[in-house]
Amino acid sequence: MSKRTFAEPTKPIALGLGVIILIGLPLLITSNYYLHLLIVAGMNAVLAMTFVLMLRTGLVSMSIAAFWGVGAYTATLLTMKWGASFWLALPLAAIVAAILALAIGALLVRNAAFSFLILTAVLALLTVFVFGNLKWLGGFIGIDRIPPPDPILLPFLPPIPFDSKPAFYYLMLFLLGLAVIFYRALYNSWAGRAWMAIGLNPRLAESFGVNVFRYRLLSFVIAAGTAGMMGGFYAHYIGAINPYAFNIFKTINVHIFAIMGGVQFPLLGPLLGSFVMTLVPELLRVAKEIEPIILGLWYILLMLFLPNGLLSLLQRAGKRSD
Amino acid sequence: MLHVRGLHKRFGGLVALNGVDLDVQPGEILGVIGPNGAGKSTLLNVISGFHPASAGKTRLQNQDITRLPAHEIARLGIGRTFQAATLFPGLSVLDHVFIGCHLDYRTPVWQRVLRLPAARREENVLRQWAEQTIEFMGLGALKNEWASNLPHGHQRVLGVCIALATRPKLLLLDEPMTGMNPTEIQTMTGLVRQIRARGITIVMVEHNMKAVMDLCDRIVVLNFGSVIAEGLPSAIQQNDRVIDAYLGKEDAGGNVA
Amino acid sequence: MLTLILQLLLDGMASGLVYVILAAGLVLILSVPRIFLIAYGQFYMIGAYVVWGATVLLELPYLVSLLLATLITALLSMTSYWLIFRHIHAGEKNFLAMIVAAMGLMLILGQAGLLAFGTSSRGMPAIFTGVLSGADLSISVEKVVIMSASVAVTIVLFLLYEKTKIGRAMRAVACNPEAASLQGIDVTALYLVTMGVSGALAGFAGGMIAPAYGINPEMGNHVILTVLLVVMLGGMNSLVGAVVGGIIFGITLSLGQYFVPDLAQIILFTAIGVIILIRPAGLLGSGVSVDV
Repeated sequence: MSKRTFAEPTKPIALGLGVIILIGLPLLITSNYYLHLLIVAGMNAVLAMTFVLMLRTGLVSMSIAAFWGVGAYTATLLTMKWGASFWLALPLAAIVAAILALAIGALLVRNAAFSFLILTAVLALLTVFVFGNLKWLGGFIGIDRIPPPDPILLPFLPPIPFDSKPAFYYLMLFLLGLAVIFYRALYNSWAGRAWMAIGLNPRLAESFGVNVFRYRLLSFVIAAGTAGMMGGFYAHYIGAINPYAFNIFKTINVHIFAIMGGVQFPLLGPLLGSFVMTLVPELLRVAKEIEPIILGLWYILLMLFLPNGLLSLLQRAGKRSD
Repeated sequence: MLHVRGLHKRFGGLVALNGVDLDVQPGEILGVIGPNGAGKSTLLNVISGFHPASAGKTRLQNQDITRLPAHEIARLGIGRTFQAATLFPGLSVLDHVFIGCHLDYRTPVWQRVLRLPAARREENVLRQWAEQTIEFMGLGALKNEWASNLPHGHQRVLGVCIALATRPKLLLLDEPMTGMNPTEIQTMTGLVRQIRARGITIVMVEHNMKAVMDLCDRIVVLNFGSVIAEGLPSAIQQNDRVIDAYLGKEDAGGNVA
Repeated sequence: MLTLILQLLLDGMASGLVYVILAAGLVLILSVPRIFLIAYGQFYMIGAYVVWGATVLLELPYLVSLLLATLITALLSMTSYWLIFRHIHAGEKNFLAMIVAAMGLMLILGQAGLLAFGTSSRGMPAIFTGVLSGADLSISVEKVVIMSASVAVTIVLFLLYEKTKIGRAMRAVACNPEAASLQGIDVTALYLVTMGVSGALAGFAGGMIAPAYGINPEMGNHVILTVLLVVMLGGMNSLVGAVVGGIIFGITLSLGQYFVPDLAQIILFTAIGVIILIRPAGLLGSGVSVDV
């Protein structure tokens, strides 16, 4: 295949090593604080992956956090008001978000790319206000004391409770793994090729039968469902949610994670970007007062010198070795 | 095969097509010529669904395709090429044609998502078909090159390849020879003949008169959005109205061979 | 009832006109240099803080402070263009990189403001006191001044944009930068000027409302979302749209918050959403295409 492959080629050794390291991390890192960061980074990575998914088809969505919020609220309502098990609430949250995306997307996706951006931005702004103005969602104060997931009952083993960070870390890893496998399969499939074609030249794609609208809508729905799933996870991990967490700035941060990593790499880019961007502010904690300034400088400098993200360094290195 | 009746197309105040009637017989090569601005490309665009018609009807065999979107029309068996370089940046020649085979998947969706063996086998079959088509069109040696690196003539051939990937019954060629040198034109001419030999009907918009006279079974002449003449190449060459139309536009740089 | 509505309209006009200035400034940035400047709200904040600092700490006359604020934000805006956006303009994948850079700028300016002026809200002694009343309506002199100043500035801006050579150059570049540069317009210089003008507008708006509405470090973040909505409503490349959008926004919010307080914002945003669905370019905009 050509250099620009449909999904990153994985070198099995690197992949295996990476997985082992990821699984082993909680054994090395015992600080709850750093585990928390890793959990959040992993979750952000999945959100960033949804951004790139839609970006591939030529759509820039400003409402990623909105669907993340839909999932969070849905799952919370299910477990708290209707007594459902977390393990039922999680997939339902994803499904609700996806269905909502289907309905709204049908209206939004048929517009030109820039209009789509504006419309999702309006949607994002609207969503925060809808969340905040609905009393049964807790209003602007939000919902707190959200219970952790029910312990997992496996045969022959004692139940696995969710009362410690490592438990949530592994759950996050599991969801992340699911997302990666699912997305990778999609990208390598006919859908992934159709998406790539649409993103590169929609007219040409249309000329050999690709229903641009349907594929864009598909990416929108899958992205929303994934975001919703992570929302359900987030709500039950953090234990408290409020509408402001799901605003457009969160979406822009997700964009930034993906762009930092490099959007050319739909899986690795978001992963790298999220983990780096979660760690960088941490390293700057010492200078808490100027942290946003340094972060802002980091954004600006990176965009000036590496507008294609950190992984573009690899691309350059790769080119030189040809 | 294709029937066009009373096709109109307006862009704001500009009338691009003014009541075009046209019939394409199965298996023929129909040439569409006319001075610059006569509406030839617009005609192709409307037929293939990239611009909606303002009025009139288009029928493919017995089906009304007037209101259908472009991808539907492609599915129904009309393939097309584009005038300007229309490619996927960063993808190889093989990738282009392979993606073009998009329509051909028969394995059910869920099998494809899960990458079950049946789906993978089908992918391989399609990939092979893509390679064969590339060979057939003479681009075999270049199959792994980035399409955007190819010389212009080859890019045009690739465009035809992609259109063929949809296994069309009818192929619309939009100025396939533009910007080509004589060798490339000869290659393209041969290819068009071979495509017809495979049973595909062809409608060709072209400025290169020699190629048109050589290749086409029949010719339709457009001017100002209407058909002003139609018939065999020899007849068209002698047709007064056609000659007038071109002479009138000669100052504007009309291409009369 | 009528007087009530008129009163609400009047109040709505006051806030609406402030949005008009900010929206106009943002429209200029979006149309001419085509930068999605999410950091724009920070210039508004800086304008307000400078006016506060100059008037309260340095004890300069208000008008001088206002002028100072306007100049400072103009300079800041031009500098940010020169150092940052000028380079991102030229590269590929413009749009995404631009948002990240704009976000970076927003962080820097926001934090700088916080460090310089502290985290608490500030008040300023009112510059204009008193209330005008007549025909059962009343409005503070402050608001009248704000409204008049806003109208004046907007008129000046329109004159600039429509009648002057620079304005024409701006319109040309907004339409088609390549063609404009081929016609001899120094596009980079023009971008600088535009950024300066927009920055000045934001700073002016901030400085103008500071005595009336107070200052807090979050004001930039809050205002940018509203201004973005106004701009989307009116049309991203239409100055007139900015005026119309701002006024509609202000009035609707004012009426809404009185009659249906809980739902006001939802209704307004939904209405805007529907309008944009029907007309994605906004009420008065014409399709802008940005390559992603």
